[in-house]
Amino acid sequence: MNSTKKESLAAYGFLAPALLLLGLFLVIPALLAIYYAFTDYYLLTPDKRQFVGLANFIEIFKDTIFLQSLKNIVVFVLCVIPVQVGAALGLALLINKQRRGNIFFKVAFFAPVVLSLVVISVLWLYLLNPSEGLINSLLVNIGFDAQPFLSSPKQAMYTIVFVSAWQGAGYQMLIFLAGLQNIPGTVYEAAKIDGVSKWQNFIYITMPLLKPTSILIMITTLIGAFKLIIQPMVMTQGGPMNSTITPVYYIYQTGFSDRLIGYSSAMTVLFGIVIAIVTLIQSKLTKEEDI
Amino acid sequence: MSKYGRKIVEYVFLIFLACIFVFPLVWMIVSSMKPEASIYLDMNSMKALLPSFSPSEWFQTYNALFSRFNVLQYVWNSVFYAVIVTIGSIIINGMAGYAFAKFQFRGKKFLFGLLLVLLIVPAETIIITQFTVAHGIGVLNTRLAVVLPMMASMFFIYLFRNFFMAVPDEIIESVKLDGANQWTIFWRIMLPMSKPAIATVGTLSFIASWNDYLWPLMVLTDTNKFPLQVAITNINTTEPVYTNQVMAILTVSTIPLIIVYIVAQKYILQGLGGSGTGIK
Repeated sequence: MNSTKKESLAAYGFLAPALLLLGLFLVIPALLAIYYAFTDYYLLTPDKRQFVGLANFIEIFKDTIFLQSLKNIVVFVLCVIPVQVGAALGLALLINKQRRGNIFFKVAFFAPVVLSLVVISVLWLYLLNPSEGLINSLLVNIGFDAQPFLSSPKQAMYTIVFVSAWQGAGYQMLIFLAGLQNIPGTVYEAAKIDGVSKWQNFIYITMPLLKPTSILIMITTLIGAFKLIIQPMVMTQGGPMNSTITPVYYIYQTGFSDRLIGYSSAMTVLFGIVIAIVTLIQSKLTKEEDI
Repeated sequence: MSKYGRKIVEYVFLIFLACIFVFPLVWMIVSSMKPEASIYLDMNSMKALLPSFSPSEWFQTYNALFSRFNVLQYVWNSVFYAVIVTIGSIIINGMAGYAFAKFQFRGKKFLFGLLLVLLIVPAETIIITQFTVAHGIGVLNTRLAVVLPMMASMFFIYLFRNFFMAVPDEIIESVKLDGANQWTIFWRIMLPMSKPAIATVGTLSFIASWNDYLWPLMVLTDTNKFPLQVAITNINTTEPVYTNQVMAILTVSTIPLIIVYIVAQKYILQGLGGSGTGIK
C-alpha cells in the first residue's frame, strides 16, 4: 500500500465515529423527512404508507393552526430581538464604566443564564400564577389589577418574550462587554481632545465599532428564536387558543402525539427551508462583516 | 445635579435592575426552604423573599421530596448522561478535527464542505425523523438513545480542527520519525496539547446534555432512566403538587450548573458561534 492510501485510510478511521453519528442522527433524518413529506406515513402502521404527492403540502396551507404558529413565531422573533438584545446592550454599557460593585451587578444580570429552559419555564409558571403568584400579589399591593399573563391569548406570547429575554440578556451582555472592551481607549481620548460630547461618543464611536458584535448577536438570536419550543410547551402547552403554539412545537405535536409522521415531515421540510435561508443570509452577512 | 446625586441615582437604578434579574432565583431557593402553607401566606410581604425563620424547617422540603421521588436516581442519570456525552464528544469530535487538520486524503474538501452545509440543518425540526431512526435501530428507552445524538457536532469538529491547524507539522513529523503511529500521536501529543479546546467543547457539551429535555422526553418511557429536566416536569404534574417541593427540585437541578459556570466561565463564551444564542 502506498503512503497516500495509507493516510486516507487512517483519516477515515479517525473520522468514522463522527461520520457515523452525524449520518445516523442528522443526514438520514433530514433525508427521511424529505421522503416522508410525500407520504401518508402514520407512526403505528409504517408498512401501509403510500406516496401521496403534494397532498401534505396543500394541506399545510389550509391548516389554520400551522398558519397561526407561523404568525406566533414572527411575533416572538420581532419582539424578543429588540427586547433581549436591547437589554443586553444597555446592561453592558451600564457595567462598562469603572465603578465599585460592578462584579456584583455583572453576576446578578448573568444569574438567569445558569438556569435551564425547563427550570425558568416552571419557575415563572409559579411566579405568574393568576391568583397566588408573586408578581400578581405585588401588582395588587401597589394598586394595579392582577393580570392573566399566561391565560390570556393577548398576553401569553409577550409574557414568553419577557421570560426568554430575561434569561438570555445576561449572556449577550457579556459578549457586548467583551466587544466594548476591545475598543481602544485611545479612540475616545482623541475624541475628547476634539471636544466630542458623550452622546456623540456613543453614536459615532461606540456604535460603529460595536457593529460586528451586534450583528453576530442579532443573527444568532434570530435563528435561535425560530426554534422556540420548550417555554410554550411547559408554560402554556401552546394555548390559550393556540396563541403560543410555534412551528417546531406543532411539528412535534403532530409527529409525536398525533403520530402523523408524513404530515409532520412536510411541515419540517417547509419550516426547515425557512430556517436554512435565514442561516445562509447570516453566514453571508457575517462574512462581509469579517467576524 | 451634583456628582454624588448622580452617583446615587445610578446605583439605585442598577440595584433595581439587579433585583429584576435575581428575585426569581431568590424566591425559588427560599420557597424550597419553608413549609408549603407559608409560601402563600408570605406572598404579600418581603417575607416572600426570606427563608423560614426556624432553620430546622430549611431542609424538611428536601427530605420530603427525596422520600417521595427517587431524586438521587435522577441526579445520577443526569450526571451519567452528561459525563458520557462530554467524554464522547471530546474524543469523537477531537478525532474528526485532527483528521481534517492534519491528514491529506481523498474527498477531504468535499466532506468538509458537506459537514459545513450540515450546520444549517436545524436539528430541532428533524426531531421526529430522528425518533423514527432511533426506533429503527432499536435503541428506544435505552440510555444509549439519550447520549448518541449529542456526541458528534459539526461545530465542535470545526473548533478542534482550527485548534489542531495551529500545531506545527514539524512536531508530528519528528514524533513519526520516532516510530509513533497516528493513534499514538493523537492521544499522546495532540489531545494533551489542546486543553483549551477540550475545556470549551467539554463545558459546552456538559451544559447542553444537562439541559437537554425534548429528546430524552421522547425516547424514554422508563422513569428510572429520566434525567432531571424530564423529572422536573414529571414532579410538577404528579398530584398532589407541592410548590415547595417543585422549587426544591428546580434548585437541585441548578446547583451543578452553578458549579460548572463558576469553574469554566471563560470557556463558555467561546460557544457563541455554535448554539449559544441565549434562546438555546
